[in-house]
Amino acid sequence: MPRPHVHHPPRALFALVFAAAALAAPAVAPAHEYWLAPSRYIAPPRAAVELAALAGTGFRGDRKPFAPQHCVRLEARAARTLDLTRVARAGDYTWARFAPSDAAGVLFAYESDFTPITLPATEFDRYLGLEGLDGPLAVRKRAADGSAGRERFRRCAKAWLAGGDAARATATVGLPLEIVPLAAPGAGATLTVRVLWQGRPLAGALVRGWRAPLGDGGAPADPEQRDSVAVAWQVRTDARGQATARVAASGEWLLSVVHMVPSADRAEADWESTWASLTFERTP
Amino acid sequence: MGVAHVRAHAVRRAARALLAAFVLLAHAVSARAHDRTFSDATIAIAARGADVRLTVHRDDAAAALGLASPRAIGSAADAARYAPALARLLAPRFTLTADGRVAPVAWTAWRWRADRRAIELDGRAVWSHEPGSLGVEARLFPDNPLHETFVNVYARGALLREGVLTAPAPSLTLFTDGPAGLWAVLRTFTATGIHHIFTGPDHILFVIALLLLGGGLGRVLKITTAFTIAHSMTLALAVLGVVRPPSRLVEPLIALSIVWVAVQNLRHGRRGGGDARAPVAFGFGLVHGFGFAGALTELGLPKAALGASLFAFNAGVEIGQACIVLATLPLLAWLHANRPRTAPRVVTAASWGVALAGGFWFVQRIVAG
Repeated sequence: MPRPHVHHPPRALFALVFAAAALAAPAVAPAHEYWLAPSRYIAPPRAAVELAALAGTGFRGDRKPFAPQHCVRLEARAARTLDLTRVARAGDYTWARFAPSDAAGVLFAYESDFTPITLPATEFDRYLGLEGLDGPLAVRKRAADGSAGRERFRRCAKAWLAGGDAARATATVGLPLEIVPLAAPGAGATLTVRVLWQGRPLAGALVRGWRAPLGDGGAPADPEQRDSVAVAWQVRTDARGQATARVAASGEWLLSVVHMVPSADRAEADWESTWASLTFERTP
Repeated sequence: MGVAHVRAHAVRRAARALLAAFVLLAHAVSARAHDRTFSDATIAIAARGADVRLTVHRDDAAAALGLASPRAIGSAADAARYAPALARLLAPRFTLTADGRVAPVAWTAWRWRADRRAIELDGRAVWSHEPGSLGVEARLFPDNPLHETFVNVYARGALLREGVLTAPAPSLTLFTDGPAGLWAVLRTFTATGIHHIFTGPDHILFVIALLLLGGGLGRVLKITTAFTIAHSMTLALAVLGVVRPPSRLVEPLIALSIVWVAVQNLRHGRRGGGDARAPVAFGFGLVHGFGFAGALTELGLPKAALGASLFAFNAGVEIGQACIVLATLPLLAWLHANRPRTAPRVVTAASWGVALAGGFWFVQRIVAG
């Protein structure tokens, strides 16, 4: 079986060239990841963990307030599944304060509703290219009508709080678009994930990874204050919807994938995109 | 340390700087894409006015002020430089209304919130006495339809109301927790109850259909009391969240209740027989109560004055119902007393009309789902 193509940008000189080329480009298409950020990824039982959500680029972003009007689900899956919307308060930047009841691990999951946006044609097409959304891009190129990008987007984010029960991490939550790890994230130097769209494997999806070094004391560095980082690797899923990536380096990892289909509500948008992410910590 | 090592170190530093610049540039260009932006408004009500704190993210502030990049606002000095213009810009876009009168907010202080990358504006609205109702309206960034403003209103240190103001729903009204607030709740929800009855032809026709067969004052009181008790019970149960049947079930049933009563009138006109209007009024009153609750909860009930608002709304419904009875009953009594041969025809014609209207609503509501 052919191995999925994995791209690893070199660290120093190649990065210099890459950055210079990017700066020389006329504009950069939008790439806005969204992720769940626990205050720590490794927590003993009954230790407090604060959960936040961020939107940004290069694994650096702004905390977003909890907005119940846009939340479809927010839950913690451990020994049992807890509905965190019951404790999350509208407008709070800490979405939940959670204490694991055991050392088996906790999977946080969030799903939003759709938000409509319109982007100028050039910017929209550039963003499709950047995110590897070749299908919609080809459709727009064939139409060649220069129409603005009318899109509605939603978020499906997961975060894994490390624990001994890998089954908790590998279980499917049932998000519309979901990155499902096939082993406990952070435990190995490589991680194979399966991308599911409406519960079925999604082939050809571009999965990208970012790594942020841990901060002082081994805790995740403040994602609002730390430096942005470049994409560590990107890889397309195979026919089984699977992709394997190297996550050997220690730190906080963000995996992200976007899928776009024609909108089910053409009055609101022409396209609808779903952004899925998975965050975890790698401790060799 | 060797020369090669120093060079490598310099290259790495340069690469890191350029990478950071690249990512920041990407962020600047895409700041408004795939993202909602939010502001926070915290309002603390007191007897003579309210303290307001408005927190605005620099992305929104920079866009509103026409700055080239949000990074132009990144320190306390930047905030001090741009905050006055931001306050002037937002003054007409953020308004408080005390008992229906505009209470302008004077923005007097500002600070930089590094942790939120936001400018925080402090302001004060003044009034002569504590209002019973307070309106909050925010249309902070009309160019950004995705922007939302979280509002938290406190009184005497306790949270009174929280809400989210959006482009489609940019305002909210709340009631304060003192005597003035209670009076405002009673006034507002009584009027709402009356308004609901008079703008709801289904309830009007149901009551009229119950009265068409006439009867003495005692019988009419029995019928209306049965209806009142029943709908008050289910209204309270639904508002308190004990039972909440879906409106797609309740609304067609209300239409069906109208048909039922009208058909009963027609059958009574042909065959005579016992008068079952009181139990029918009670049975269908239970369904109408759920309908009232649907209308009431759509208005947004004040949690702190749930009982008072429920009582006032119900009182308004009773007042509206009493008005219908007082307008209909003398006319029917006169008809039955002075035109004994015409009265049955009028009752039959009116019952057919009511049945047809109820049937139409039933089909309409079933189709609408």
